[in-house]
Amino acid sequence: MRTIRSEWTKLRGLRSTWITAASTVGSGAALGVLGAADLTAPPEDWDPTAASLKGFLFAQLVIGMLGALSVTPEYATGTIGTSLAAVPARSRLLAAKAAVVAAIAVATGLATTLVSFAAVQLMLDVAGLPPATLSDPGVPRALVGGTLYLTIIALIGVAVGALTRSTTSSLAVLVGALLLVPALAPGLPAPLGDWLARHWPITAGQAVYTVVPTDGALTPWLGLAILAAAAAAISTASHAALHTRDA
Amino acid sequence: MPQQKRGLPIRARGLTKRYRTRTAVDELSFTAEPGAVTGFLGPNGAGKSTTLRMLLGLVRPTRGDITIGGRHITDLTDPVRAVGALLDARAVHPRRTAADHLLAVAQTAGLGRRRVDEVLDLVGLADAARRRAGEFSLGMHQRLGIATALLGDPGVLVFDEPLNGLDPEGIRWMRVLMRDLATEGRTVLFSSHLMSEMELTADNVVVIGRGRLIAESTLQEFVLAHTTQAVTVRAQALDDLARALTRAGMTVERGQDGGLVVTGADPSSVGRIAAAEGIALDELTRVRESLEDLFLRITGAVADHGSRAA
Repeated sequence: MRTIRSEWTKLRGLRSTWITAASTVGSGAALGVLGAADLTAPPEDWDPTAASLKGFLFAQLVIGMLGALSVTPEYATGTIGTSLAAVPARSRLLAAKAAVVAAIAVATGLATTLVSFAAVQLMLDVAGLPPATLSDPGVPRALVGGTLYLTIIALIGVAVGALTRSTTSSLAVLVGALLLVPALAPGLPAPLGDWLARHWPITAGQAVYTVVPTDGALTPWLGLAILAAAAAAISTASHAALHTRDA
Repeated sequence: MPQQKRGLPIRARGLTKRYRTRTAVDELSFTAEPGAVTGFLGPNGAGKSTTLRMLLGLVRPTRGDITIGGRHITDLTDPVRAVGALLDARAVHPRRTAADHLLAVAQTAGLGRRRVDEVLDLVGLADAARRRAGEFSLGMHQRLGIATALLGDPGVLVFDEPLNGLDPEGIRWMRVLMRDLATEGRTVLFSSHLMSEMELTADNVVVIGRGRLIAESTLQEFVLAHTTQAVTVRAQALDDLARALTRAGMTVERGQDGGLVVTGADPSSVGRIAAAEGIALDELTRVRESLEDLFLRITGAVADHGSRAA
């Protein structure tokens, strides 16, 4: 608990924490609105909920960096020495960072999800297109799922930050994992491409905030479970790395 | 009457850190006792920082150990209250305020804002508490680093190059602080690559070169054991004097400024010989090798030895 309080002080006191949190909400909602702006008629298998959360594509990168930034500046500035001398149990330090990031990410993720959803549904309604409402089946699950999705991405960011120990490397890894692999997978030879398109943890996890299942996608909770398992694996690797490497 | 604080000894035993291509610390053993300031001396790259980082649990020894009161830092229940360290004064997030930087460390020991204000006061940074560390001068960084080390009121204090880059006033402040901390009964270990920084500050010295122990003793003994005495002497009848001194078994050399340098002699014996010969002296001065020269000579010898072995 003491370590968590200490980590909260570290993150709270930096303006970058709140700028990244606000950017997550802002970019998520703005891209969602932009993506829905040119709709004139609802396409087949119309999913207004998923459509409103299209901004996650970019928001996830920002919230992932929020997680990484709980670790990497410690290496850039050298404060990691002070931190580890005060908390020699290295796993406790990293777990405390993850706990604080998770708390900030749940609030940020929920805000991103709700603001995006509300803004786009209002827009659809004004444009005369059928919006989704909270009472529609599957919508509350998608919104909770969206919040959890962003929270897990932030935790992956913490692990990536601890593994790379560098802000720029973390950004490169997150861009690759969150954007490039999902974008390039369909172009790969069929068996590998198909498998990645379905099971790459990021793509799989995105099923949790769709209401109308897309072709060949996993079920929402199975998708989220795959993402969570991947997050657990990379977190375990980051704890192991922190233990074996000299600070 | 200073408040008494019982420190614990820092003890290194066979401490070794080997990297892929070089050995940073090599079978190093020494002790820093409570109630004294121990100077940890060695040229740049001698392994001082690596040793201190092993003490703090940041770097894992290849062999051997370094402990505080017999325990490794990872086994201490409350490290901030046991040992305070200043490793790198610049290691502060530039966008974090001084108060937040301290609070984050204080909270790991269950301490709060009151203790933060106390240490800020103690180091004279009370007015800068709300300023971001990026605006700090080197001297202020140094004071913030000292404040961080003092947060838990620890019995053991470790400072890596604490006088580096300080102005004369800052150096004096730091010296007085280290002396006071030791007088209170704490263990104070500070590193330096300058012998001159040991004077007036250190009770004991641990000297290393190329990761190996060169000397461990009180500062006084160290100086006495390693400095050679010499006398410079000047007179009109310099050649006669030189002959007389040589006859008496003394080693005489021409000095650069036209005098004689007599090594291994004291002024009174040189004066007696001159008087016996009836030579009037213009100058008779005792010369001590400066601590800096001594240090360079000793660590330089080890450096040569090391490169031959490699």
